[in-house]
Amino acid sequence: MSRIGVFTCHCGENIAGTVDCPKVAELTRQIPGVVHSVDYKYMCSDPGQTLIKEAIKEHKLDGVVVAACSPRMHEPTFRKAAAEAGVNPYLCEMANLREHCSWVHEKNEATTQKAADLVRIMVEKVKHDTPLTPIKVPVTKTALVVGGGIAGIQTALDIANAGHQVVLVEKSPSIGGHMSQLSETFPTLDCSQCILTPRMVEAAQHPNIKLMTYSEVEKVDGFIGNFKVTVRKKAKKVDEKACTGCGLCVTKCPNKKIPDEFNEGLAFRPAIYVPFPQAVPNKPTIDTANCTYFKNGKCGVCSKVCPTGAIRYDQEDELITMDIGAIVMATGFKLMQTDKFPEYGYGKYKDVIDGMQFERLASASGPTAGVIKRPSDGKEPETVVFIACSGSRDRAKGVPYCSKICCMYTAKHTMLYKHKVHHGQAYVFYMDIRSAGKDYDEFVRRAIEEDEAKYIRGRVSRIYEEDGKLIVKGADTLMNGEPVEIKADMVVLATAVQSQDRSEDLAQTLHISYDKYGFFAEAHPKLRPVETNTAGIFLAGACQAPRDIPETVAQGSAAGAKVAALFSQDELTREPIVAVVNRQAPPLFSTCTGCFLCQTACPYQAIEQEEIKDRSGRVIKTVAKVNPGLCQGCGTCVAFCRTKAIDLAGFSNEQLFAELMTL
Amino acid sequence: MESLKQKAKELLEAGEIKAVLGYARGTSDTRRPHVAMSALEVDKLVADQACTTNLANLLMKHEIKHLGKLAVVASRPSTLRSLLQLTAEHQVADGAILALVPAEGGVKQLGTAQAFEEHLALVPQKKTEKDQALLDRLKAMPRAERFAFWQKEFSRCMKCYACRNSCPMCYCERCTMDCNRPQWVPVPSHAVGNQEYHLVRAMHLAGRCVECGECGRACPVGIPVHLLTFFAEDSVRAQFGQGGGASATIDNALSTFRPDDKETFIR
Repeated sequence: MSRIGVFTCHCGENIAGTVDCPKVAELTRQIPGVVHSVDYKYMCSDPGQTLIKEAIKEHKLDGVVVAACSPRMHEPTFRKAAAEAGVNPYLCEMANLREHCSWVHEKNEATTQKAADLVRIMVEKVKHDTPLTPIKVPVTKTALVVGGGIAGIQTALDIANAGHQVVLVEKSPSIGGHMSQLSETFPTLDCSQCILTPRMVEAAQHPNIKLMTYSEVEKVDGFIGNFKVTVRKKAKKVDEKACTGCGLCVTKCPNKKIPDEFNEGLAFRPAIYVPFPQAVPNKPTIDTANCTYFKNGKCGVCSKVCPTGAIRYDQEDELITMDIGAIVMATGFKLMQTDKFPEYGYGKYKDVIDGMQFERLASASGPTAGVIKRPSDGKEPETVVFIACSGSRDRAKGVPYCSKICCMYTAKHTMLYKHKVHHGQAYVFYMDIRSAGKDYDEFVRRAIEEDEAKYIRGRVSRIYEEDGKLIVKGADTLMNGEPVEIKADMVVLATAVQSQDRSEDLAQTLHISYDKYGFFAEAHPKLRPVETNTAGIFLAGACQAPRDIPETVAQGSAAGAKVAALFSQDELTREPIVAVVNRQAPPLFSTCTGCFLCQTACPYQAIEQEEIKDRSGRVIKTVAKVNPGLCQGCGTCVAFCRTKAIDLAGFSNEQLFAELMTL
Repeated sequence: MESLKQKAKELLEAGEIKAVLGYARGTSDTRRPHVAMSALEVDKLVADQACTTNLANLLMKHEIKHLGKLAVVASRPSTLRSLLQLTAEHQVADGAILALVPAEGGVKQLGTAQAFEEHLALVPQKKTEKDQALLDRLKAMPRAERFAFWQKEFSRCMKCYACRNSCPMCYCERCTMDCNRPQWVPVPSHAVGNQEYHLVRAMHLAGRCVECGECGRACPVGIPVHLLTFFAEDSVRAQFGQGGGASATIDNALSTFRPDDKETFIR
């Protein structure tokens, strides 16, 4: 017969307010197998836990039921207390009298009776409990950071500085991300590249960081501490070791009319190219889609001029598999395609550009060397209209959320414009100005007061061309919706921030959740903002939601700190609540029939095939086997198995049956 | 019929197979399953309209499995469909069993799952008119009425498990129904136990049923149990666009986790 102790907690007034706790203790004392039952005001307090520990010793208890709050709240507390008194922690169970009873019912006799029933259920469970031991798994102390923008660079540097290995994977030929394209940054107007490039170089030269540019994550298997990641290293068609980065091939490439992605299509680049002069690594890549050699087999100029013979036309994509302990997603964002706004004439009128294109126009490294010239005829624009919320907060055509950074960068744009074109006039159409942040509102006020940007609260209905001017028609809602018409030379759309293309595919590859806009979802919006629901995978930067640079860097460091904390231990302890496929005596060996429908049902790829062989090595039977390292204990396979060959440790069929039958 | 016998003899003589599983004359006008391992036994084989049993069920029996490589007479499409589903569920290796299909002016020999699929495309399986009519009637019924219909039918069930034993997809070595630690489904044939048994059976076959109707034919008290699984199968096909017995390579509709499942049914 079991010797089970029941400990009923009042939780102050939380439980005792509606449940008669002494009565519960009295009722449960009569359950067969229960040898000790008491109630106490706060079981989780130090005296409460001491009470449990002493009772275990005094009454020689072999099982414990704590009737208190949710196991999510205090199960670890009580299991630890039980373990300290010499009882296997998995023989300690909690009956949830608070969330499942006292908080949801009135104070009356039936509530107390239900509380006693909840305890009765758990007593039956404990009777069928088996001692379990936690599963220990080793930790591979190498982190993978996906995305080489400022978020990824910051995370990689922080982890590397903590003394751990980092693999930084970037899909484009250079790290740097969106920040490398910016001209100046708000609210200080310091040069973006000037503050970024030292970090890029630091990341590239750090002994603990392995840089993999022009690479993409292909496959992720495994679990926290033990991921197996396959990265596709796309062929640059250039031998990185042999190449000295002299740039001769770039200058000699005859195909120079390819729209330059780095300059947002405002300039051209050759087919063999370095994205920008400060690129890291500063070695060229062949754009095979546009290269004459790859299109019709002729040309080969780069190969001929290369002094070190580094051009490799036959280079193939490489698949590299790595052991990784933790993953940080820092894949960033993209800007909304402006073709959603035909009324603004983007694509039709060359002088309607988006915010990133304006950054390139204003950048000293841009196509105009920092002189503001409009794309159509290269003239200096004397009137520029900025349209905030192009797609943001627009339920009808765009996205309902606020893109967060546009108010600030639009204010910055008006200032940059005014500083370069002193007689120019900037107009801003806005919905609201959202400038919460240190020195942010002061910055916007400066744009309005010192740099004389004219802010008009209202939307633009239409833009059309007339006599070489762009006529911007809108309304001023602060002037009773009076129509406004501005003859502009250039229009800049502050387009919405969106999740990266294929971010949903990537999330599925990593088994992390994402929201309906494709942004990766954090584990808890307030308390676990850099973790995902998948243990060992963290988030940094704008892949989670629109973010500005300071926030991105802060989150990158936070994710780095999380990874460093994870890597501070040599072994991870996992809950032994995993599925087990039964094994039986021959000739059955297992009731598993080997249909392997569980294999397709498992969301974690934890089910393997195991061959049972006789002495001569002949396969007698092929059955399912659960890898306890991968199993998350969700129980999907258990529910699906037709022969009930799979059981979940700690929640076995027999336990559930006993729990039900006691009612 | 002669060409079938000849083909069977050829295969046995060449040593390509160890036995042929087919039909022989039973008592009165019935046909019974027959295992032929020699030319003499092959002569007893019959192939005609009365050969209705789905022989795939026997292929999963221990005694037959251990005979070695087999050829099975597949006079009805459901046998091939069963073989496909068994292959999908790792019970039969692709190419391990030959199918001999009596056809106009000869016999067709099919060796692989792909060949089965190609043949099935030519001879689609049809439900009998009687089954279809009752199924349509059931589908048209309001839920409460349908429930009452089955309650009435199940009241006659005596839990002989003939429906389970005749099913080619009920190949588990230990059936859930025989599991007594714990005994989820009560053994006696009372109202609750009967209903639980039939619902569990229908759920276990949803998305896997090959619609041979063997269970309904096996029922000694004439409960149309096959319509339960037909009904489930139709629902799965309507929801997922795939059903049991169509292919050896498609993942089971109800048990396959896909990260891109939209889960629109959760509201």
